[in-house]
Amino acid sequence: MAEERIGVYVCNCGTNIGKIVDVEAVAHSAVEIPGVAIARSYKYMCSNPGQEMIASDILEHKLTRVVVASCSPRMHEATFRGAIKRAGLNPYLLEMANIREQCSWIHDDAAAATEKAKALVHAAVQRIKFNEPLESRTAPMCASTLVLGGGVTGLTAALELADAGQQVFLVEKQDHLGGNVARLDQTAPYLDSAQDILSNWIERVWRHPNIRIFLNAELTALTGFNGNFKPMLRTEDGEKLELDAGSVLVCTGYKEFDASRIEQYGYGRLPDVITSFELEAMLHSGRLQTKSGKQPRYISIVHCVGSRSDKYHPYCSRVCCTAGLKYAFEVKSALPAVHVSNLYSDMESFGKGCEDFYRKASEARTSFVMFDKHNLPVIRAAAPSDGCNLLITLKEQLSGEEIEMPADLVVLMVSMEPRADAATVARLVNISCDKDGWFIESHPKLDPVATTTDGVYIAGACQFPRDIPESVVQGRAAVARILAKVAQGKIAVDAIYSEVQDKLCSGCRTCNSMCPYGAIEYNSEKHLSHIISAVCKACGCCAAACPAGAIKVRHYTDEQIYGQIEGVL
Amino acid sequence: MAVRVNPELIDDLQHFGAKDAVKCYQCGNCSAACSHSDDPYVFPRKSMRYLQMGLEKPLRSALDPWLCYYCGKCSEQCPRGAEPGETMMGVRRWLTSEYDFTGISRLLYRSWSSELMAILVVAALTGVGFLSYGYLGGGGKLSVYDGPGAFLPPHAIHVFDWTMGIILALLLSINCIRMWHFTMRNEHATPVRPALYVRYLLLLPVHFFTQKRFRHCENKTPWTNHLILMLSYLTMLTLIMVFLKQMQEGPQVNWYAHTFGYLSAMGLVGTTIFAIHGRIKKDAAYHRHSHESDWMFLGLLLFVSVTGIVQHILHRAGLPMAANITYVVHLMGVVPMLALEVPFSKWSHLAYRPLAIYFAQLQQAAQAEGALPFGGPAEAHPAA
Repeated sequence: MAEERIGVYVCNCGTNIGKIVDVEAVAHSAVEIPGVAIARSYKYMCSNPGQEMIASDILEHKLTRVVVASCSPRMHEATFRGAIKRAGLNPYLLEMANIREQCSWIHDDAAAATEKAKALVHAAVQRIKFNEPLESRTAPMCASTLVLGGGVTGLTAALELADAGQQVFLVEKQDHLGGNVARLDQTAPYLDSAQDILSNWIERVWRHPNIRIFLNAELTALTGFNGNFKPMLRTEDGEKLELDAGSVLVCTGYKEFDASRIEQYGYGRLPDVITSFELEAMLHSGRLQTKSGKQPRYISIVHCVGSRSDKYHPYCSRVCCTAGLKYAFEVKSALPAVHVSNLYSDMESFGKGCEDFYRKASEARTSFVMFDKHNLPVIRAAAPSDGCNLLITLKEQLSGEEIEMPADLVVLMVSMEPRADAATVARLVNISCDKDGWFIESHPKLDPVATTTDGVYIAGACQFPRDIPESVVQGRAAVARILAKVAQGKIAVDAIYSEVQDKLCSGCRTCNSMCPYGAIEYNSEKHLSHIISAVCKACGCCAAACPAGAIKVRHYTDEQIYGQIEGVL
Repeated sequence: MAVRVNPELIDDLQHFGAKDAVKCYQCGNCSAACSHSDDPYVFPRKSMRYLQMGLEKPLRSALDPWLCYYCGKCSEQCPRGAEPGETMMGVRRWLTSEYDFTGISRLLYRSWSSELMAILVVAALTGVGFLSYGYLGGGGKLSVYDGPGAFLPPHAIHVFDWTMGIILALLLSINCIRMWHFTMRNEHATPVRPALYVRYLLLLPVHFFTQKRFRHCENKTPWTNHLILMLSYLTMLTLIMVFLKQMQEGPQVNWYAHTFGYLSAMGLVGTTIFAIHGRIKKDAAYHRHSHESDWMFLGLLLFVSVTGIVQHILHRAGLPMAANITYVVHLMGVVPMLALEVPFSKWSHLAYRPLAIYFAQLQQAAQAEGALPFGGPAEAHPAA
């Protein structure tokens, strides 16, 4: 260890660090530390001249390790690792001392901040003495994909993958493809037939040589890891089938809210109160009539049924406003004399063509009746003398009047909610659900279709209420991610992961249940736990839990941590 | 107590000219643009809402539509092309038909063919009636226009004028009482003490003669035209009802009477042509939409004015027979115009608008007083 030659580089970061921390003093104090061969400061260490300086010092002064005191490693660790790698050092022989976020940005006292910076540099120097050169590894990438769900998202993803020449296993729980879209008549805002959209895709999926369809089937287990999953299916015949899939795409969709939960709407009790899906079926069959077989005169469409409510779902289901507007056209084309009213609390018909659609719906003589979402309308059966089937009472917000509306048919725009088995699916593929039960993406903006489990993707309305175009876009976005990995042919495994030292492992399995990523396997023959390095994220939970101290986290060894602690003290 | 919705109301109002109210999404730009809209009379937004919602009863008891003079500012501001100004006009037509107890107004407004037929029938009856009177009860000679033996002597016409005037005034009064009942005696209205009715009585003639509120509209042109037309009409009405003898004397010009006659004839013809031209060209928001009744009204007005002038000229030109024939034709326009328009159609707004301003003032005064003495505390705060 005595022969280590460490270079310390202290960055001014323009004035970001230099205006509080005495950068020169930090460099001077670093030179005093045993093992430090050279210590310099520079205006911008991350700039090309800064990186050049480090690289030429490595060659000239035969440096073996490098400490950079600058910003957070999240900002520039990769930059400096690249710089020392180019000069012939192993990239893991770099340490960063964060003297910007942890010193200059948060302290006013220049003297104390400088002392703290010195301590952080000292800690980094003491730690780096124990750093080991590490190598990244790769694992094979299986090109086939398991697609869960045969709705509009799953169909489009399967076709894209298959057209790109990759094998797809399309698993659908029901006995047919098409999902919820198959239950619709026309689609907003251009009033295309949902059947036309679907039938073309379904036909192509059935004919495609690269797609294997499993109907009435479900996933029962998923083992393996990114690029090398082993899904276990229960097929139509009740048989178990194990497949090989490099990626898993979950697009299991949504289900509709149970409208009978809102008692004052009378769903289930009043026969002429129906859900939007029941109206879709009526429109599709061409029999738009009340339960008693009469032609309705007044149809009321109630929005936000289960959505945007403290009691049911706090979120907006996003598609129902536009879908409700669509009925104005569909109903009026079937029965021109019908009076259609939309009962809403806020009209949110967003998206391409939809604001125009809203305007056209009102021009098509639909009335818009505003209720307070904290004071929902009440629907009750009308008396024979009322001349209608139902009466709706509400406080109308825009006129301020307490009103009573006649209706023959009331359509409830039921909200979208996670499927009943969403939590089970989430457990199987090791992803998380939010408080409402929707699957959580890796990052809402920067990584919207990936999950925290590498190789498992989510798309469409299993993640949040989505309309058809958004679902298609998401399905194809996930395909782009999968194909990028398939094109590489292998997956890179980070050099930083945990390892079980077999000699010390007693096979107690304490670590097995601790791992948040499902990375630990148990070898029941050898009575040893084993960590799949490709799955491990090096969080260190297992290492902390292991009673025998048998687990080592690479790059975070006890020696490194103790060295760092001693250094800072 | 919940108000029952009548979903058909908006369809019904289409016949009265309120065709675009469906497009309104209640942004309120119209009311913000209007210089008259003020709490509690927030119009056109609120009236538009009652109409859209089919809240027939609140709409019938609203004074708001009469507080609007249709300068058209709201329609210019409307982002959705819902034509709030024209909607208010349509609501006024509908209200006129609601106030009218005979149902004639409703028939005339909803069907232009009925209106045309009514005009033609009344005109024909008038023609036959006056010709018969001229030959049988009057002078008997079509060639005598004025003086002794005149075909249609002024004293006889006077009797007819006043009889018709009293009948029409009676009909209009009944409709005005119905208006009072709808607007001042509903569950939302504040009871008003009789003394207040007396205190604010002066508002009626002031607003009748000056239409001074119209002046506050941003666009002043319609006010000027409206005022000239109305004053010309009133002047001519006074001349005919009181000074018919002087009007019919001749052939020399009686400047004391005829000066007024010429001025008001100019006013009538000028403003009528201006309005017809504007409606054809659709040169302003308030001229963009024309209900059939607007054309009938303007047509009759122009017809009556022109035949009146021609009759006068023929008389001065020494052509008594032609003057007498024109006189009968003139009356064939005057009688349908007054008989149909005063109690049942356009002219009735001369009464309804000042009344609405008066009633609105009474409501505000009564509310300011706390509204106790008239109906007692229980009625003073009716349940909403």
